[in-house]
Amino acid sequence: MKKILIVEDEKILAEMYRDKFIEAGFEVSATFEAKEGLKLAKKEKPDLIVLDILLPRENGVYFLTELRNDLEISSIPVVVFSNFDDPETKRTALRLGVKDYLIKTNYTPKEIVAKIKNYLK
Amino acid sequence: MIDYFLLNKISVILISVFGSWLAIWIYLANRKVKVNQLFSLMTVFVLLWIAFGFLFFSTNQTGLALFWVRLNFGAVSIFFITAYFFSLYFPQEGKRTPILDKIVVFLGMLFFFLSVFTDLIIKDIEIKEWGNDVVMGKAGNIFYTVVIFLTFLILFNLFKKYFRLSKEDKLKAQYFLVGVFIVALMNIVFNIAFPIFRETIKYYPFGDYSAIFFLGFTAYAIVKRELFGIRIVLTTFLVGLIAVLMFLDTVVLTRGLSLQIIKGITLAIFLYFGYLLIKSVLLEIQRRQEIEKIDKAKSEFISIASHQLRTPLTAVKGYISMILEGTYGQLAEKQVRPLENVYQSNERLIKLVNDLLNLSRLDAGKIEFSPELISLEEMVSDLIEELRINAEKKGLYMKMVKSLKPLPKIMVDQDKLRQVILNIIDNAIKYTNKGGITIELKKIDGEEEIKVSDTGEGMTKKEIESLFQMFSRATAGTQLHTEGAGLGLYVARQFIEMHGGKIWAESPGKSKGSTFYIQLSIHLDPELLKTKTKTITKTANDIF
Repeated sequence: MKKILIVEDEKILAEMYRDKFIEAGFEVSATFEAKEGLKLAKKEKPDLIVLDILLPRENGVYFLTELRNDLEISSIPVVVFSNFDDPETKRTALRLGVKDYLIKTNYTPKEIVAKIKNYLK
Repeated sequence: MIDYFLLNKISVILISVFGSWLAIWIYLANRKVKVNQLFSLMTVFVLLWIAFGFLFFSTNQTGLALFWVRLNFGAVSIFFITAYFFSLYFPQEGKRTPILDKIVVFLGMLFFFLSVFTDLIIKDIEIKEWGNDVVMGKAGNIFYTVVIFLTFLILFNLFKKYFRLSKEDKLKAQYFLVGVFIVALMNIVFNIAFPIFRETIKYYPFGDYSAIFFLGFTAYAIVKRELFGIRIVLTTFLVGLIAVLMFLDTVVLTRGLSLQIIKGITLAIFLYFGYLLIKSVLLEIQRRQEIEKIDKAKSEFISIASHQLRTPLTAVKGYISMILEGTYGQLAEKQVRPLENVYQSNERLIKLVNDLLNLSRLDAGKIEFSPELISLEEMVSDLIEELRINAEKKGLYMKMVKSLKPLPKIMVDQDKLRQVILNIIDNAIKYTNKGGITIELKKIDGEEEIKVSDTGEGMTKKEIESLFQMFSRATAGTQLHTEGAGLGLYVARQFIEMHGGKIWAESPGKSKGSTFYIQLSIHLDPELLKTKTKTITKTANDIF
């Protein structure tokens, strides 16, 4: 069973994606904070991380920077999934090696699951 | 008239005091940083070079003059070693070539030794009417060749990393280059212009003295966090330079009090207008900085506002789609249609937010263009699969006609082109009630064409003319579908034109269907490629 870590601060959306990923046969862990997300990533060693950018306190870019600097978890693939459509942030995230920077409103949870499955092939 | 020797002496004293202060100031500003250390060391050798040069000019004993001039050339040799290493670390550390570092140190040390201890570089001194003249030795020309080579190497080090520098560091590099430019200009004035127009070469030490401007500009660039734009620096420098030349002309070269008074008045008038000029340039720069700040705040507001609008829309879209997919249990037949209507209404809102976000970015001239190599066939094929369900719900066919040979990959901004094609196919489904939609892909000369034909409502000529303008919709759109804001095709046109491509529509008339064409060049204009990671500063008006 593939493990997914969702770092998402909007409780409603986190629940929604968790439901869909569980339905699709994934093992899901979720958190709403960047630092907590890094701890979970080290503990759970997920196969992929779905990351929001605007988070309380430290943001998604901080999460990515810390993740890439930690050899234990630096190779975990990350897909940014955010409604914050800022070109500068997108460039920074891509430079930090994310697989994709997707805008949430443009995809249904089903489409997201299909995309994630594709990245995990 | 002021005595030339006195003028020379005053200049050297002022330069030594100011230069020493610069070296100490920069070193103390951050003594652990290599740039600061190297700058101070470089300054020390410039000051020695100038001081030994002055001592050489000021003696009339051949032996002593020879001693000072050899030390002068020795200081120049060491200066180039320090300047070379400085150029490796300023404004940011660049890639180093260890072998080149060793060659530069070797050359500098070799020519220091040859200059100071042998007669290969400087053979002798001749005392001329205008002052002491140097008789070059056998390797004299090699010395000058090495100096030119090292100068180019220093500039090359800077240019090599220039385009990778941040905006702030680029400005620092520009300060350095302005310093080099001033030294070159002053040398042209004192070593070329003066000998030609005033028939004297006795002012040529002033060419060396101009090195203090180079040191001053570079020191300022190292220490100051917020630098003035290079335009204001150049304006101030040119006004200052002309004023100094006018002053020298009035005090040193002009004979007769009345002529000196007239020239003095001219200098005062020039200084007043120069001051007004600098003030106006400074004001313009401040205004531009304020506008840039407002622009930044505006685009941040747009990004945050669109994020806040999108979050609830995402929740509605996600949950409704999952309810329709049966994630939360089987739906009763009569519940499906109302939920699909909620889903479609939500999609309209999402599209509107996306269009408004694009529109405000186009309007602010802050839209990004990020081309990448993709297969158009794959993109269109994916989009057709995504939209097929909407066409089938209306009982419409949707087919794709591929080119006989596979199309070559093409450089496009994937997100933007995807949005444009999605918009056009979505419109075709919306405005067609019978028949279907055909999407054709082909290569015409150096271009790839996407043709979307429908059997829908069609358009009149007048409607086609205003189709790609803001808030415009064909009457079919107004009669049958009231949801569109008329922004989609306007944004589509902006995006296609950003690629240097064309988009247009044709229709034989009402009820006869419409065809939309998009043509994109296979080889993207190199000028457009240059904008790859930059912000396009065009405004919507420029694009039209």
